[in-house]
Formats: sequence, C-alpha cells, structure tokens
Amino acid sequence: MKLSSVKYLVGEGFKNTWTNRLMTIASVGVLVACMVIIGLAVMISENVNMAMGNLEKQNVVMAYMEDYSWALYGDGANQKKGDSTEKADKNGIRPSDYTIHNEAEAKALCDQIAKIDNVASVTFVSSKEGLESATKSMLESQKEYFTFLEEKDQNPLPCAAKIAMADMELFDETIKKIEQLEGIDSIQSNSGLAQTLAAIKNGITVAGIWIIAILMIISLVIVSNTIRVTMYTRKLEIGIMKAVGATDTFVRLPFVVEGMVIGIISALISEGLLYCCYRIATETIIKTFGGVIAFSEMAWVLLLLFMGIGILSGVIGSVIIISKYLRKEGSEFAAI
Amino acid sequence: MEQTQQGFQVSAVKPIIEFRGVSKTYQTGTHALEDVNIKINSGEFVFVVGSSGAGKSTFMKLIMREEKANTGKIVVNGFDLTKMKRKSVPMLRRTMGIVFQDFRLIPNMNVFDNVAFAMHVVGADSRNIRREVSKALSLVGLGHKARSMPNQLSGGEQQRVGLARALVNSPDLIIADEPTGNVDPNMSYEIVSLLTEINKRGTTVLMVTHDHNLVRDFHHRVIMLDGGKIVADNAGGDL
Ligand SMILES: Nc1ncnc2c1ncn2[C@@H]1O[C@H](COP(=O)(O)OP(=O)(O)OP(=O)(O)O)[C@@H](O)[C@H]1O
Ligand SMILES: [Mg+2]
Repeated sequence: MKLSSVKYLVGEGFKNTWTNRLMTIASVGVLVACMVIIGLAVMISENVNMAMGNLEKQNVVMAYMEDYSWALYGDGANQKKGDSTEKADKNGIRPSDYTIHNEAEAKALCDQIAKIDNVASVTFVSSKEGLESATKSMLESQKEYFTFLEEKDQNPLPCAAKIAMADMELFDETIKKIEQLEGIDSIQSNSGLAQTLAAIKNGITVAGIWIIAILMIISLVIVSNTIRVTMYTRKLEIGIMKAVGATDTFVRLPFVVEGMVIGIISALISEGLLYCCYRIATETIIKTFGGVIAFSEMAWVLLLLFMGIGILSGVIGSVIIISKYLRKEGSEFAAI
Repeated sequence: MEQTQQGFQVSAVKPIIEFRGVSKTYQTGTHALEDVNIKINSGEFVFVVGSSGAGKSTFMKLIMREEKANTGKIVVNGFDLTKMKRKSVPMLRRTMGIVFQDFRLIPNMNVFDNVAFAMHVVGADSRNIRREVSKALSLVGLGHKARSMPNQLSGGEQQRVGLARALVNSPDLIIADEPTGNVDPNMSYEIVSLLTEINKRGTTVLMVTHDHNLVRDFHHRVIMLDGGKIVADNAGGDL
C-alpha cells in the first residue's frame, strides 16, 4: 500500500466524519457517557482500595512469644529475667521449656517472621513496651499495679511481634505460617475485619470489571451503528471502489479512520470532563475525609484506558460492519 | 497493467474473454444463462443485444465477477474466474473499466475528483493521477469542465465523465451495460463514437444496448441473447 493512497483514504475518513457530523456528535456523546462512567468506576475503586489499604495497615497482628520471662511471673521472682542458667523453679518449669529467653532471641524470631511471604513489616515489641501500651488505656489505679510489677521485674507480658500483612486475602494462610514458627505462643488478630475488607475489595474489583465490560460492548455497538449509517450514505463510493478494483483494505480504511476519530475525540472529552468532575468532587471530599488519590496519578491510566476503548471499539466496530458488507456476493456495485 | 492500447500488438488472436459451457441460476431459481459458449478476442467491439430478461446483464456480471457461474469455465484477461479467490477479484477488476447506465458519479465531488477517485483507490500516486485524469478528460472532450459538479452537467456529459473514469486506469477491457440507456439519441451516438475511438486504440469494448439504430449504424460484432442462450453471433459476418 502506497503512502499517498493511505494519506488520501485517511483524509476521506476525516471527511466522512465531518460530513456525518450529526451522527458523529451523537456517538461521541454516548461514548463519552460510557467512558465517564468507566472512569468514575475506576477512580472510585482506586480511592476505596486506597482507603481499605489504610485500614489494613492499622489492622495489625500481634504474635506473642513463648517467653521465659512470663514463666517467672509470680514465683520465679528470685531469678533474673533472661537468665538461662538451668534451674527449675517452684513449679518445675525450666528455662529450656521456653524458646525465647532474652531480647536478642526475640529479635531473631522477628527476623524469621519477616522472611515469611506476605509479611509486610514486623516490629519488635518488648515486654516493657507491651506493658506501656497495654496500660495506656487503663485507669490510674490499675496502671499503678502494673507499673509496680514492672519495677519489680515481674512484667506479665511476653515479648511480641507486631506484624502487618501485604495482602489481606492471604491472611489465614500467613497466620498459620507464623504459628508454625518455634517460639510463637499465641496470635491475636482481627481476622473478621480482615476478611470483610478483602471481600469489599474483591466486590469492587468484580463490579468494576463488569461495568467496564458492559460499557465497552455498548461503545462497540454505538460506534458500529454510526459506521453502518456512514456506510449506507457512502454505498455509491463503495460500489465504485469495488468496480475499479480497490482491495478490501482500501475500502475499509476510511471507515476505520472514522471509527478511530470518534473514539479519540470521545477519549479526550471524557478525560477533560472527568478532570473537572473529580476536582469539584474531591474539594468537598478532602474537606470531610482528607486524602484522596490525586487526579494526576490516574490521568495517564485513564487516558490510556479511554483511548484503548475508543480506538478498539472504533476499529473493531467498523471492521465488523464493513466486512459483513464486503462479503456479500452479487450486485456489489449497486448504488442504493 | 501493460499498455495494450496499440491494437495490432495483441491482434485478434488471443481471446480476452472465454465462456465454456457456462450456466447461471440465481438463488430464486431463475435460469439466467444456460450453456453459454463464446470467445471474444482482444481488440474487438461487441454489442450484446436481446430482449428484457434475456440474460445480458447476467452475462456482464459474470465477466466482472460480480456474480459467480454455477457451471462451466470463464476466463477473462487471463484470470480463471471459476477458480478465482475473493482476494484476487480486485486484480481482475483493475484490468477492466466499468461504465454504468446511471453514471454513478459521486455528487459532492467535481468532475476531476470523480475521475481521480478511481485512481486514488487503487493506489496511484498523485503526479500520475493529475496527468492521467487530464488525459482521460480531454479524450472524452470535457477538459474544460474539470471543476464542474456532476449536477451542472447534462446526462450525456455525465456519462462521458463516467467513461473517463472507466478509462483512466488504462484497462484492457471496457464493460458497459446500457451506457446510453439514460441519455438522448444524439448523445448516444456521441458516446458510442467515443467508445469506438477508444476501441481503435486497442481496448476491447463490450456494450449492452437496446438501441437498434446504434447496432445498425456502428458496424461491430453483435451477440444476441434470448432466454439465457446465445441465439445469434455475427463474429466475422453480418447478423
Ligand atoms: N439478482 C438476481 N436474482 C434473481 N434473479 C435475477 C437476478 N438478476 C437477474 N435475475 C433474473 O435473471 C434473468 C436475466 O436477467 P438479466 O438482468 O440478465 O436480464 P437483461 O437481459 O439484462 O434484461 P434487461 O434488458 O431488462 O436489463 C431475468 O429473469 C431476471 O429476472
Ligand atoms: Mg440488464
């Protein structure tokens, strides 16, 4: 195919779009509506996902360790914390019954936890820190009792690891893996919340995919309908093209260009509209909730998505319609 | 395609169109052509005549591969139409120029662009297009009307534009189904004279007509169809 003829046919496509401008405007309108809805779906789900992510980060897991110091609570007061000299206490408990005897061992266990897949971060919480945060919300009189214990080196809390996960969907699996580590006594978590969050995220993703799929089909139908109208108004040209021996590719090209032009115009308008909508909407949202994803962070993705939808529906729509027409045998030069 | 305009070059030896036992039955069950056998040599001018429904248009459509034959073998310009794939049809069509009874000019293009359109869509480059379109328009005597719109022309002039468009890609064969059907008698003579002129330069011309006067006054080969069969053919002699 020669460049000059491609230029000519592309020009014809642009001319078609203009000659057919009422149809073009109508289909651009419908396409923009579809794209704006798709864009809104994407932006809402992105923002919700981000908010969920924040919630997830706060939803931490505490893993308490089999800490020897805990056994010392009460009776083993004579024994120093972390002292690993083998000496059974009154209740017959030996240091070797425990895995963790000092902070160094506890920190090593933290490192082991960090190596597990899906563990995003691990923070070591010493028994002292644990007690501090536990007593924070207590009444003054209760607090006094615990600080008294701490002072007597009888902190009842074992060392612990504060764990955040990357993917909440793998929550239960990850918990199991942590539990299997030697030295973990018990795990405290809010798995119910984790599951709800995961379910909501999932639901949003599935709904988003459905919305996009349905609207893409609508876009395809709209564009191919416009092309069908153009095709009927240009049957005379098509007939002549076929009579003089134009290849199918040549006959199709102007229509494909028209479809693409409609798609691209729609994509650009949708992007602009969404930008305005988003700014107006987020100004109020930021004031109430604070923290939304900036439009600029999503701008390229959205534009790419719109261009993709627009160009794909333009090209596929026109190719389907024209090919169906071109394959018809007989009377192919018929004008009307 | 090569320049075969110099008639003597190909002479009347090689058939440009050949039908062997060709039948065409439409899906409706109408037997439009039955066992047609014919040879048309390169450089000939052939009138196809016959009453309405005789199968003249069907005969032309088979040559242009607008319709497919049910049985028999058709060879046009070296293409075996019975074995031809859909993809090759454009190549066959580029060897022929088609003239329509109703002109088929694109109303929103001027005369020049209408003729140029036929070159653009087969991939010609713009310099060739300018040269060939001017040549074709002056051949049909419309060089001065290049900027006119079709609705500013008489029927005869419009058909001459149609003729220029059929000629512009230098075809070996002109196919014209009743090209004078929509123009007055004087213009008809002018158009057939033009076709005869083009034929003298070596292009084979195949023309369907109902006009006995034309057939009588221009001494060309006449093929007569009736009920889908060739009932007369004056190849080499008079009807
Ligand atoms: N597309 C079609 N489908 C069904 N039947 C057809 C079709 N085209 C033509 N016919 C029939 O085939 C027969 C031959 O038609 P054709 O058009 O070849 O006649 P013709 O000689 O060109 O007639 P006219 O002089 O009126 O143009 C007629 O009976 C016609 O009704
Ligand atoms: Mg006819």
